[in-house]
Amino acid sequence: MNSFILQTFNGISYAALLFLLASGFTLTFGLMRIVNMAHGSYYLLGGYIGLVVAKTTGNFALALLAGGAAGALLGFVADKVLIKRTGEDHLAQVLITTGLAYVVGDLALKVWGGDAQKLPIPMIMRGVVELPFDIVYPIFRVFLTSVGIAVAVLLWILYRKTQIGAAIRAGVDDREMVSATGIHVDRLFIIVSALASFLAGFSGVLGGAFLTVYPGAEWEILVFALVVVIVGGLGSLEGAMIGALIVGLLDAYGRWLLPEMSYFVLFGPMAILLLFRPRGLFGTANMT
Amino acid sequence: MNQTNRIALVLLLGLALLLPQMAGTYWVTLSTQMLIFGMLALSADLLLGHAGLFSLCHAAFFAVSAYTTAILQVRYGVSGAAAVPAGILAGTLLGTLFGLSVRTRGVYFILVTLAMGYIIWGVGYRWTALTGGDSGITNVPAPALGDLKVTNASQFYYLVLAVVVIVLIVYQRLVSSAFGLALRGIKTGEPRMRSLGFQPGAHLYTAFVISSFMASVAGVLYVYLNRFVNPVTASLHNNVEAVLMAIVGGSGTLLGPFIGAGLVLGLRNWVSTFFELHLVVMGLVFIAVVIWAPGGVVGLVRRLMSPAGKEGQS
Amino acid sequence: MKSFQSKWMKRAGTALALAAAAMVGTATAQTKGPIRIGVLAPITGPLATPGAEMVDGMKMFWEMNKYTAGGRKIELVTADTTCNPDQALTQARRLALQEKVHFLIGPLCGHEGPAVAQVSKETGIPLVLDPAGADTNTKWDRTPSVVRTAVSASQISHPFGDYLYKELGARNATFIGSDYTWGHEVAGGMIRTYKELGGKVNKVIWAPLATTDYGASLAAIPADSDAVVVALAGVARIRFCEAWYNFGYDKKFKLHGGYWLHEDAIPQIDARAVGLISNSVHYVAGIDTPENKAFVDDYARRYKKLPSWFAESSYTSGLWTKAAIDSINGNVEDRAAFLKAMRTVQVKAPRGPLKLDAYDNPIQNVYITRLQKVKHPILGDVLMNIPVKTYNNVSQFWTDKPEDFLKRGPYKP
Repeated sequence: MNSFILQTFNGISYAALLFLLASGFTLTFGLMRIVNMAHGSYYLLGGYIGLVVAKTTGNFALALLAGGAAGALLGFVADKVLIKRTGEDHLAQVLITTGLAYVVGDLALKVWGGDAQKLPIPMIMRGVVELPFDIVYPIFRVFLTSVGIAVAVLLWILYRKTQIGAAIRAGVDDREMVSATGIHVDRLFIIVSALASFLAGFSGVLGGAFLTVYPGAEWEILVFALVVVIVGGLGSLEGAMIGALIVGLLDAYGRWLLPEMSYFVLFGPMAILLLFRPRGLFGTANMT
Repeated sequence: MNQTNRIALVLLLGLALLLPQMAGTYWVTLSTQMLIFGMLALSADLLLGHAGLFSLCHAAFFAVSAYTTAILQVRYGVSGAAAVPAGILAGTLLGTLFGLSVRTRGVYFILVTLAMGYIIWGVGYRWTALTGGDSGITNVPAPALGDLKVTNASQFYYLVLAVVVIVLIVYQRLVSSAFGLALRGIKTGEPRMRSLGFQPGAHLYTAFVISSFMASVAGVLYVYLNRFVNPVTASLHNNVEAVLMAIVGGSGTLLGPFIGAGLVLGLRNWVSTFFELHLVVMGLVFIAVVIWAPGGVVGLVRRLMSPAGKEGQS
Repeated sequence: MKSFQSKWMKRAGTALALAAAAMVGTATAQTKGPIRIGVLAPITGPLATPGAEMVDGMKMFWEMNKYTAGGRKIELVTADTTCNPDQALTQARRLALQEKVHFLIGPLCGHEGPAVAQVSKETGIPLVLDPAGADTNTKWDRTPSVVRTAVSASQISHPFGDYLYKELGARNATFIGSDYTWGHEVAGGMIRTYKELGGKVNKVIWAPLATTDYGASLAAIPADSDAVVVALAGVARIRFCEAWYNFGYDKKFKLHGGYWLHEDAIPQIDARAVGLISNSVHYVAGIDTPENKAFVDDYARRYKKLPSWFAESSYTSGLWTKAAIDSINGNVEDRAAFLKAMRTVQVKAPRGPLKLDAYDNPIQNVYITRLQKVKHPILGDVLMNIPVKTYNNVSQFWTDKPEDFLKRGPYKP
C-alpha cells in the first residue's frame, strides 16, 4: 500500500512538470497550429541559464525567472525570425524548428559540456517531509507539485475567466472567424507563444533541479509533451492537465511494477487510445 | 515526364554508374548508404509528399526487415534467397498492422506513428533473446543468391543502384497513376474526395502498406551493407531523419529523398571531420533550406533552371 | 574536362606510388612517413563527456611522448562517432580507406564495438578496442584483427560478488542495474559470483537508461533486502543518488556500488555518499602507485579534474600501442607484426601491470574502492575513490576455464 501511495505521489509530481511543459505546447499547437520541434530547446536553454544563475547567485527564484525569460526570449526570436516565415506549412515548420533545435543543442553542448549537471536548490527544499503511511517524501517534489497546481489554476483562470482567454478559446475553435471579428490574432499569438516558451524555460529549471540538466533533454521531454498534448487533445487546457496526470501516473506505476516494459506502458495505451479515439480525450473536432 | 527531366535523370544515372571507377571504396560505400537511406526517405515520402501523412515509424519496417534477414541468416543458417524475401515480408506485414494508423490524421497521425516506432525500438532493445539487445546481430554474411556472391563494395553498390532504379521506375508509375492522383486529392481536400465517392481510408491504407514494403526493401539492403543490425536502427532519430531527408531534398519528388539523404549523410560525415559543431551546420542548413529553398533542393534546382530568361518569349 | 583528367591522373599516380612503396617492403623506419592512428570517439551525442576524456587522455600521452614511436612521428586522426553504430561504421571506413590510417583505436559506446569490428573484418585494419567493453568482443564474437586494451564488462564485477558476500556480509541483496548490455554484464558478473558463494538475490531491478525518476525504481526494492547494490552508468548515477538520499533510503538500506561513482560523476554527488563502498573497477584515481600518482597529477594539472577510467584507458592505449610500435621498430605497415606485438608486450599502466590473455583481453587488477575526502596537492579538497581491496591479475573469465565460461553464454537479464 505504501509503495502504491508513494508511486502515486511520484506520478503526480512528474505530472506537474509535464503539465508545465505541455500546457504552452498545447496552446501553440492548438491555437497557432504550429509544429514546434524546438519547444524542448526552450526547456533546455531555460535549464542551463537557470543553472548558471542558481550557481552564481544562489537564488532559486531568480533562476526560475531567468530560465523562463531565456525560454521566452529564444521563443520570441524563433517566432519572429524563423517560424513566421513558414506560414501554415507544417513540413517547413518541422524542418526549420528541428534545425533550430540542432543548433541550440549543439551550442549548449559546446558551452556547458556533456555532463549531466544538478541544479542547486535552496537549503529549505532539500529535506524531506513525513507523510502518513510511513512515507518520507522530498520537499522539492512537494514544491514542484504545488507550483504545477498553482500554474494550472492561474492558466485555467486566464483561459476560462478572462477576455483574452475567451479570444484564445475562440481562436482554437475557429481562427478565421476570430480574425474576422476584429481581434488582433497576431497579438494574441505573440502573447500565447511568449507564455508557452516562458513556461517551457521555467519548467526547464524545475526539471533541472530534479532530473539534472543534460544534453539531449530537449528531445526526451518533447516526446513526453507531445504524448501529453495528444492524449489530452489539442488546444484543450484541461486536456493537458488530465493528459499530464495520466502520463505521469502511467510512467510511475509502469516503472514500479513493470520496469522492463516501461517503453510500452506509455506508448502502448497511447497508440490504442488514438486508434479508437483519434482526437484524444478532449480534442476539438478540428484536427488538421 | 518532360524532356529536361529525362535528360537530367539519364545524366545522373550515368554519373552513378561511373562512381566506382572514379572514387575509392569509402565513397562507394558512403554512396551506397545514401542510396539505401534515400530509399527509406522515399518510402516515407510516399505518405508525406503525396498523401500528406507525416509518418514517424518508417524506420521500424526498415529495422524489422533488417533484423529478420539477419536473424535468419546468422542464427538459423537460412540462405540469402529465402532470408531476403522473408525480411521484406516481415516488414510489410508489420506495415499492414501499423497501417491502422491511417484512421487518424494530421498531428494525431504523427503521434500514433511515433508511438508505434517507439514500441518497435523498445522490442528490439529489450527482447534480448531474439534481437541480441543493444549488441544487435553481427556477422551477417555477404549477400548471396546460390552461387552468386557479392564480394566487394562496388558490386554491392551496383546491386543497390539497380534496386533503386527499379523501385524508382515503379514508384514513378504509381504516383503519376490515378492512385497517386487520388492520394494527392486526399492530401489537399479530403472532404471533397469523399463527396466524389472516394474512400480515403482504403487509399491511404494501401499507400501505407506500399510504403512499408519499400522501407523493408531498403532495410534488407541496409543489413547487407553494414553486416550487422542494432536497435539504434529503429530509433526515433532514424525515424525523424527519414522524413527530414525527404523534406530537405524535396518532398513529393522522385529524387528529393535521395538528394536529402545525400545531403544529410554527406554533411555529417564530411563536416564532422573538420568541424566539431557539425550539428550546428546541419541545423543551419535545414533553416536555410526552409528560407531559401522551400521546395527542398529539388525545388531550388527547378526554380533556378526555370526559364526566367524566357519571360520575354511568351 | 582537363582538370578532371589531371585529377584522375593524380589519383592513378598516387595509387602507383603507394603500390611501389608497399612493394619496397621492410625499409628502415626513418625513411617512412608518420604513423597515422585513427581515433573513433563520441565527440557529440549522449556520451560526449567520456568521449572528451578519451581524447584528452590520448592527447596527453602522446604530447608527453612527443608524438613519437618506433622512430616515426605519430599523427592522430579523430572521427566523431556520435555514439551511433551507423556513424561509427562510416567513420571507421573513412579512416581506414580514405585517411589510410595504420590502425584504429576506439570506439567508446558499447554498441559501436561490433560496427567498428566489422570494418576491421572487411579491411583487415587492426583495431585496438578501447574502451568499448561488451563481453562478446573478446569471447564469443572475436575478430583476429581486433585486440582490446581496456576491459571486459563482467571482468570488473566478478570480484565484487566475492567482496559483497565475504566482506560486506550481504546475504539477501537487491541489485539495480542500467538496462543495456554493459549494465546487464556488469550486474550479471557480480550476481553470479555472489550466488556461487551462497548469496541470495532478493530482486534485480533493471532501469532503462532514459529513466528520469528513480523514485519509482526505489519503490520496487523489497523491504527485507539486507543490501542494495548498484551498477549504473551515465546520468542514471546522479539521478539515482539524488533519489536515494531525497527519499531517505539511506536510513532504510545499506548501499554498495558495484559500478557508479566514477571520477566524472563525483562532483555531482551528494556529500552524504562519502564513506560508501563506491566501485569495483580496474581504475580509480586513488590507486597508490608512483605511476598512477604521476598520471593523476599530470592530468589534474592539465584538465583541473581527476581522471576517470575512460581517460586512463585511452592514455594506456597510447602507452600500449607505443610499446608495440617500438618493439617492431615502427613497422606498422606489417599488420600481423603489429598485432603480434600488441599480444606480446606487457605494460605498466597507471592502473597496474597489463598483458593480453589468449582471447585478446587484458589481465588486470580490480580494485574495490571507497569514496573518501582527501587533500590533493593540485586540486585541493576532493572526493576520491580509494582502493580498500585489490584483486590481482583478474582474468575476464574469473576463475573459469575459458571453454567453460564460453559455454554459459553472455550475462543476460
